[in-house]
Amino acid sequence: MRHRLLASMVALAAATALLSLVQVSITGQTQTNAAKPTSATKPAATATSLRTSWGEPDLQGIWGGETLTPLERPARFADKPVLSEKEAADVTAEILARPGRDRRGERGTEKDVAGAYNAVWQAQGESLADRRTSLIVDPPDGKIPPLTPEAQKRDQQRRELLAAMLQGTSGGRPGSPSPRRAEVPVLYNVDRMNRADGPEDRSLPERCLGGMVPDWNAFYRIVQSPGALTIFYDTGQGQGFHRIVPTNGSPHLPSRMRQWWGDARGHWEGNTLVVDTTNFTPKTDFRGSRENLHLVERLTRADANRLSYEVTIDDPTTFTRSWTISVPWVKQNEQENRVFEPTCHVGNYGLLGMMANTRFAEKAFAEGKGPDPATMDIATGGGGGGIE
Amino acid sequence: MRNRFRDVMIVVVTAAVVAILCLSGTRTAGQGQAPQIKRTSGKPDFSGIWQANNGANWDLLSHPARAAILMQAGTQPLAPLPAAPSLAFGAAGGVPGSLGVVDGDQIPYKAEASAQKKDNADHWFDRDPETKCYLPGIPRAMYLPYPFQIFQGTNKIQMVYEFANAARTIHMDTVDPPPDDTWMGHSVGRWEGDTLVVNVTNFNDKTWLSRAGDFHSDGLHLIERFTPISNDAIRYEVTVEDPNVFTRPWKMSMPLYRRLESNAQLLDYRCTEMVEERLYGHLRKQQLVKRWEGENMIVDITRRVPPPDVLYQR
Repeated sequence: MRHRLLASMVALAAATALLSLVQVSITGQTQTNAAKPTSATKPAATATSLRTSWGEPDLQGIWGGETLTPLERPARFADKPVLSEKEAADVTAEILARPGRDRRGERGTEKDVAGAYNAVWQAQGESLADRRTSLIVDPPDGKIPPLTPEAQKRDQQRRELLAAMLQGTSGGRPGSPSPRRAEVPVLYNVDRMNRADGPEDRSLPERCLGGMVPDWNAFYRIVQSPGALTIFYDTGQGQGFHRIVPTNGSPHLPSRMRQWWGDARGHWEGNTLVVDTTNFTPKTDFRGSRENLHLVERLTRADANRLSYEVTIDDPTTFTRSWTISVPWVKQNEQENRVFEPTCHVGNYGLLGMMANTRFAEKAFAEGKGPDPATMDIATGGGGGGIE
Repeated sequence: MRNRFRDVMIVVVTAAVVAILCLSGTRTAGQGQAPQIKRTSGKPDFSGIWQANNGANWDLLSHPARAAILMQAGTQPLAPLPAAPSLAFGAAGGVPGSLGVVDGDQIPYKAEASAQKKDNADHWFDRDPETKCYLPGIPRAMYLPYPFQIFQGTNKIQMVYEFANAARTIHMDTVDPPPDDTWMGHSVGRWEGDTLVVNVTNFNDKTWLSRAGDFHSDGLHLIERFTPISNDAIRYEVTVEDPNVFTRPWKMSMPLYRRLESNAQLLDYRCTEMVEERLYGHLRKQQLVKRWEGENMIVDITRRVPPPDVLYQR
């Protein structure tokens, strides 16, 4: 009996000592990199090395979403959601050969000046997204679903007012300037109106309020921590912004709280981060959808160099059915660190100039020294490039 | 009798050994620090929502309370009066007193820089970049009266500030420097034991350090230290160096407090839209903000269009 008691006590002490040592070695281990940033040529890493030290799939890094695939499927590819390798190579070469923004309007016209940027300023993707002909993967025809009747009516009202303001200018239909030039839009203005009475007559991007979700083809920095992650959207001309995605199971904000980038909540489903976003402000407009916009995004670390980004857009007051965009995000060089702080607002000479110069034009016209500003186009601009 | 005594001793000694091993296991896991601090990969994890709670944004130095940010002469030197823009706010527009956050309660400005600081303060309404919703820079973003959220990732620590959706990345790995001077600085971090040490450089000269007109040049260089006091408080220290403006390096320090509400969350403070009237209202076709009639006073506003060189100044 004595021996058994002694033996069991010694065994208990030994087991406890062993457990304590194991505990020390787990917490004392040095930080390991979950996934080393690599160039595109390195082979895919195994699933374990693509996890954070606290066990989540690792979405961290700088990612690029630019591709040559357009949002909607062009008519000539109506029956071809995915191209063969040869077709894809031909189409890619064809797109890259186009002048794009180097295509100029007639020299000396307002339209030519409004074109503003030629191709040297524009970065575009180098290849199609997985040889697809549209970024929209649902509905299967690769097109944005039809708008609801109420959304069509809102859209029509908006377009009619914008067109009325351009009447009698080089960018609009002929006629004398419309009396509708003095009208206030029904909804919060997000467009570049042909008017500059005040800052709210200009588009959100001109006011440095342009960064918006969903956004799928810019540059992103994801930093992940236990309980929350943040995505920096390096988008537009210094219009970048940070989204915060709690992953701690907390509920959405109360419905009276409307936010510019909505209110996001994330949770993991297997290896996919599912982000549900609601509470959008009525001051942003995504293809006709305002405060009723509801997004469900799925981010999956597919391999060392690829993050699959998917967003399902849902708003029954605007779209007759939900639709889904899918984009492969490609890992960028971490050392080059090519994301930059958003400095649109601190350097917004454009908005300042647009207003100051319009006041000057009005003064000149009143003194008989210049044209009637109502006959000038300060709304339409250049554009171009991409698959058509 | 002797056997039972030995049995008891065996049990007591074994129990003591087990107890010692359990306690030392916990202490070793905490590396000798307070055991309640959350750690990830062995380091204190600062992830979460934090906020300073002091008067540093008003003035880094100790200052008594006063009626308004800008005062004007009254009838006696000891009794100045609020300047006109603040008058209607009454006590809601006052500056609370504060003991200051600077070692030695003095900022060692060079002589001409000291005059610039006073000039900045005297023209606060026109010049403080905070009023224009400009990026606040570091260290000011750390002690603005808004929360910020820290995301401690694998190779990056991101700090996102509620004010103006400003943010900065602290690089714990090696990266190329930025292509241009920045508002929020370029932050590179490393651990010294449980202290996160951050070196911040590559600033432009456009941010202020407080509402008292404290400023810097593009030669600003910061060394920040974040040391856990507990799981819910951080001691934050900054050594400030700028040989163009200060005669020597100087230091500020303050606690940062974790926001403990169970539903704590950063909300929008997208002040870009909020400041449009302030920045561009004078260029409207028709002035809209002209007059306010209260029960005790009427406020009339006359906008001024600055001369072109100032109009386009940033």
